Amino acid sequence: MTRKLQAVRAAILLAVLGACAGDIDPQWQLDHDRIIAVRATPPHLAAAGDTAQLDLLVGHKGAMTTEQPPDATTVVSPMSLAGAVSGATVTAPSDAQLAAARTELKLADGAPVPLTIGVLSGEFAAVKTVWLGEPGDNPVLAEVMVGGVPPGTELVVPADLDVHLSVTADDSTEIVNWLTSCGTMHDFDLHAAYLHVLPADPQEGELALVLRDATGGVTWQTWPIHAE
Amino acid sequence: MIDKLGRPVRDARVGVEGGDKQVKTDRGGRFKLSAPKGATLVIEHDGLEVGLAVVTGAILDDIVLLDVDETLETIEIHGEAPVDAPGAAVIDRGELQRVPGTGGDIVKALTVMPGVVNLQIPLGYSGVVIRGSSPQDSKVLVDDFEIPVLFHNIGFRAVLPAESIATLEYIPGGFDVSYGRASSGIVELTTRPGDEKRSEQAEISVIDGGLLVQGAFGKKSRYMFGLRRSTIDLVLPSIIPASVDLSLTTVPSYYDEQFRIDTELSDKWKLAISSVGTIDTFELYATKDTDAATKRFYNRTAFARLTGAAKYHDGDWNANVALSAILPQFIFELGLFQRIEVTQPAVTPRVEVIDTRKTYAGLSNVEWKFGAEAQVGREIVDLALPRERREGEPMGAIDPKDVTQTFHGSFWLPDFAQWMSVAANLDPKIRVTAGLRADETVHNEEYALQPRGKLEYKISSTLTARLSSGAFRRPPEFQSETLNKNLDSERSTQNIAGLQYEPREGTRIQASTYYTDRSHLITTQMDGTTANTGRGRTVGAELLATYRGGPWFGWLSYSYSHSTRIDHPGDAERLFTFDQPHSMNAAVSWKSGRWQLGGRFQLYSGLPYTPAKGAVFDNDRNLYIPIYADPNSARAPMHHQLDLRVDYSWKWGPTALTAFVDVQNVYMNDSVVTYFYSYDYTQQAAFKSLPIIPSIGLRGIL
Repeated sequence: MTRKLQAVRAAILLAVLGACAGDIDPQWQLDHDRIIAVRATPPHLAAAGDTAQLDLLVGHKGAMTTEQPPDATTVVSPMSLAGAVSGATVTAPSDAQLAAARTELKLADGAPVPLTIGVLSGEFAAVKTVWLGEPGDNPVLAEVMVGGVPPGTELVVPADLDVHLSVTADDSTEIVNWLTSCGTMHDFDLHAAYLHVLPADPQEGELALVLRDATGGVTWQTWPIHAE
Repeated sequence: MIDKLGRPVRDARVGVEGGDKQVKTDRGGRFKLSAPKGATLVIEHDGLEVGLAVVTGAILDDIVLLDVDETLETIEIHGEAPVDAPGAAVIDRGELQRVPGTGGDIVKALTVMPGVVNLQIPLGYSGVVIRGSSPQDSKVLVDDFEIPVLFHNIGFRAVLPAESIATLEYIPGGFDVSYGRASSGIVELTTRPGDEKRSEQAEISVIDGGLLVQGAFGKKSRYMFGLRRSTIDLVLPSIIPASVDLSLTTVPSYYDEQFRIDTELSDKWKLAISSVGTIDTFELYATKDTDAATKRFYNRTAFARLTGAAKYHDGDWNANVALSAILPQFIFELGLFQRIEVTQPAVTPRVEVIDTRKTYAGLSNVEWKFGAEAQVGREIVDLALPRERREGEPMGAIDPKDVTQTFHGSFWLPDFAQWMSVAANLDPKIRVTAGLRADETVHNEEYALQPRGKLEYKISSTLTARLSSGAFRRPPEFQSETLNKNLDSERSTQNIAGLQYEPREGTRIQASTYYTDRSHLITTQMDGTTANTGRGRTVGAELLATYRGGPWFGWLSYSYSHSTRIDHPGDAERLFTFDQPHSMNAAVSWKSGRWQLGGRFQLYSGLPYTPAKGAVFDNDRNLYIPIYADPNSARAPMHHQLDLRVDYSWKWGPTALTAFVDVQNVYMNDSVVTYFYSYDYTQQAAFKSLPIIPSIGLRGIL
């Protein structure tokens, strides 16, 4: 097995190539058409008949992000719960339907059931899992700091200086994304990142913070931002 | 031909015993003469004693002519393995260092061979790709035993420098039964025996620097020691812009070592002990924050191979007895969750006996060969990685938490092989070789017989035709194949027809066509497991013309290849990932006095790739699952480049110095190597070759 571990070498090389790519948008770039995040509120439904609402954070090339409901939704899995989603609303099925879903997914009795939902927004598609049969909420952004102070509703940051950003999160179990259309983001996927607005960068735009926990919870916040 | 001091003997007369024709050695002491195997060569030179040598193969190494008053000493002859498969070629150290654009490196020199897939940068593999198959289908051997990696992680330099090898033998297919465990081709490197004259040599360039010491001790022993270290790592930190989110906690670097000791135990026994080894290490964080364990990459690739080989020669009998041990280690750690550590120590005893008879049962020049090999290894694996990709499968979503494939444990890997072949002249023009190889791989309980045959017909004194056909197997030992005991070897049947034309001394033209049928290819199944459900085939033609005359050295190679496969019954046929229809190399070098000038032009097809059509965003894992078009349904554009090399040599006191400048891609054609995608697969970017790659170096010999 030691012989020629090409796949691993390829991963290293492609990681390096990706890091060197100058012609494609980095993942922290908000000025880009895409679905940035899908949120179900709440992300876990404990009892039959409980409901959750789906909404999206959508990025637009040349414009600010928007929060909007999905254009269309469908159940991807399990197919026995195909009727659990209607528009942007997810409704927890009956206990009997849940039991049938556990059989379909080969889950143990009483185990939470992952309901995978496909969502569409324009030409973009995403999948989101809502957990059925157990309670749970979306995470809360805690101790958000921009430049060492809690952010207000609109951010003003110094140009051509490192602006440190932080939020309370565990990088090993949670997924943090700092995104911006103003300046260059460094360590965008760590709880402690920093923003640097070079003279050649756009001097105004938007800053977004998205936090995903290990159990499917999502939360986000956006701020208008400009450098001076 | 050399004298007792190791100096080339020019104008020595060489002829076959009993024949009329004689040729003279050139200024380098070399000669070329058509003679059957087993024939005796008679060498004459005024002032030197008459020398005798037995033809044991296509190349004879260092025949020493002694002074008339020293005739009681023994003439030393080393026979190398015959290179007589259709399309095969041998390049020695001196020629390798003359090919422009190679920087004197074995890996780059291999790319001038017809049938070797050429790529500006060998992305994602560490071997050699021959005739459009996969890197794992061909073997790279050093002194008859396989090495696990051919080149270093950075710089793409071979793990042993050209200075430490004697010859590079390239067999693209149809190889002898003494070679096995490969379904495509063989690259055999032979380490360099030390010269009788002691010398120390140093070389430094922007990539690496090395030392080589060689000489003799006593009357019957010679040594060669080489050590090399990367230098590129010394400058790398200073050329990375401060704005890049990168911390090189262990700067990428490499070391490699080579040594060889040759000693004559008796008139009949000679012993060679050789070793090659390498260590490549790097550790980096894709951030300035070195506490961010999720952004950590670590890699260490190391191996050391030690081989002891004894050669016996007595009259018609020759025997090679060898024992080789290897200790390879590979460690890769990515972030918090993904890692692999594999250690696979192995010991390989090998015996081969050759009996040659001038006549036997009405046949002439009969050679009977039989051999056996046992490779006993223990694999110790600690694995937590995503499911691996098989040939042609595009990259999936990159999820740093994906550890779908896990294993922790160890197991034995004993493999055994036996082979036998008989070669004989049916008449002076026709030579037939028939052989059989048996391989037993114990971990998957497989026993395989592989018959191989060859027919050689000498049409005229300058033109020889060769036909070769045979069965070949590559055991399931690539990546994690050893973890699945249900896998069989991948198989190939190769049929090759070739012509060799040698109109005059120093000029050779070889042409060959081939058809390779592949079966039992290991592919991924619907449930994520692997099985031998794939089939494939390769058809192609190759041309190689070489010229060695006076100050000139010329090389022209062209290959056409079409390589396709079907992964599962009922699937559509697709291209192999390394299918390269056209590849052409033209090189010329001129050497006179202190100057050596050379140029090389390359033209070759881009490789296939699988375009992405889009992606679905997986919100909870925050990654994009790509949707691809048909595998390998697009191709990167053709690449061409011109390389130039200038060497200048002079003496500085007792030291012979050579400075060289080797510039690759002088007209800066930054063509596409491959494509990659943005994180959400909505944007495609080209990874282009470096526009110009200069290599400057200095070599000193004391």
